Amino acid sequence: MTELRDLARALGLDRLSNEHLAQLARALETMERHVARLPRDLPPAQEMALIFRARAADA
Amino acid sequence: MSEPAFLGITEASALIRARKLSPVELTTALLARIDRLDRSFNAFIRPLPERALKVARQAEAEIAAGCWRGAFHGIPYALKDIIDVEGLPTTAHSKLLADNLATADAAVTARLEAAGGVLLGKLSTHEFAIGGPSFDLPWPPARNPWNPGHFPGGSSSGSGVGLAAGLFPAALGTDTGGSIRNPASQCGIIGMKPTYGRVSRRGVFPLAFSLDHVGPMTRGVRDNALMLQVIAGHDPLDPASADEPVPDYGASLSEGVRGLRIGVIRHFYTTDVAGDAEMTAAIEAAADLFGRLGAEIREIRLPPLQDFAACGQVIMAAEAYAVHERWLKERPGDYGARGRERLLAGAGLSAADYLQAVRWRLTLRHAAANAFRGVDVALTASSLDPACRIDDDAALAATYSRQARIAFNVTGQPALVIPAGFARSGLPLSLQLVGHPFAEAMLYRVAEAYETATGWTERHPAGLA
Repeated sequence: MTELRDLARALGLDRLSNEHLAQLARALETMERHVARLPRDLPPAQEMALIFRARAADA
Repeated sequence: MSEPAFLGITEASALIRARKLSPVELTTALLARIDRLDRSFNAFIRPLPERALKVARQAEAEIAAGCWRGAFHGIPYALKDIIDVEGLPTTAHSKLLADNLATADAAVTARLEAAGGVLLGKLSTHEFAIGGPSFDLPWPPARNPWNPGHFPGGSSSGSGVGLAAGLFPAALGTDTGGSIRNPASQCGIIGMKPTYGRVSRRGVFPLAFSLDHVGPMTRGVRDNALMLQVIAGHDPLDPASADEPVPDYGASLSEGVRGLRIGVIRHFYTTDVAGDAEMTAAIEAAADLFGRLGAEIREIRLPPLQDFAACGQVIMAAEAYAVHERWLKERPGDYGARGRERLLAGAGLSAADYLQAVRWRLTLRHAAANAFRGVDVALTASSLDPACRIDDDAALAATYSRQARIAFNVTGQPALVIPAGFARSGLPLSLQLVGHPFAEAMLYRVAEAYETATGWTERHPAGLA
């Protein structure tokens, strides 16, 4: 729990109760599974889309 | 008049225009029904009886004077309580926003009001449109009219519940990872997530900017098309709004599916995630039915559901954390447990994580566009299970992510959920139709053919019809 509280403090989340810290731990664990699936080898020139717009031309 | 609980927009509108039904009479009857029944279902956070009757009287006077504004004139509707109405609180079902008075109408509210709609009230949601059914918030969670012990889906839970219970004929929901389509699936109604940018998000409390959609929820397909017609269109004040022409969504409704190419995304509900047997059988039966109605059925493949889920969840968590960071740091105890846990998921993400997901999103979108190239519309699952009990934390945790919806928040394509029968338990089954960007009219055409052939949307919960 001390390690988790240190992590929370480092994230600026220093008002979390012990119950909240347990929730943070579960939330981070769930997100880790998704992050592990992200590709890390996309071509350097591949762009991002900050605001995504679908276009009728794609149909 | 007899209680008009399950009168749809189309039918009510025709009666109102012919002056066989008064908007005041309709509104009064629905308000009485809300007063009598909603204590069991909790669809509403805030009914607005006085305001509704005032607007209904105005509609009645206008129509009597020959000033009929269109098919939505005098039609009662309700809004998920993350959508602003000037002068009313937008609470997002949270203690944090209990006193948050809206200073202007959301763009969609303004459109519905201009069309002459009669707002009955603001509806339950999951806290900030994320999380799940919670018993530690200022208002109780909505309950499924088909069995009040069961989860109604969410986060637009009040919208789905009120429609299934016959409390109103039209509602708006929002959908970031499936929040229109989940309650549509679990409550047995129609939910449309339009193309990203088709409907303005201005004045709607954000969950994740690049995944958020606003859309209509109704009991019938034709009603849904009619409501989208009212709210669709370009809004220069929404940075993601699309400047694309809005077609007549009713024009091709009755053309049937003969000659259409329908792609079945079978791997979403079989090999990627094994769907419930009854749900899977209902979707396969729908594919067979479309074939008998003259459509060409073929299987198509997209990237695995897990790829879409990972991409979408990372984007959602990062964008939602940006919205909630300050409150999570200063007032974490003011959130409910489920909302807090879901929102904390973004705390540990790096900038690189988020950007890799946003870059990957384009790859996934291109893969989906390629898969859709040979078809007019796709058929797949929405929820992979019928509704579980609302108080069963283990079942909620196990089933909440078993869905095939977030893929189309990632791609931005339009997706519609329609009832596909009933499980042995009596709870609704559902299917999802997915279209090309801005091809909502095609989804309505296919859904209308299915609705006409099956009649599932004519059924209502026992004791409420």
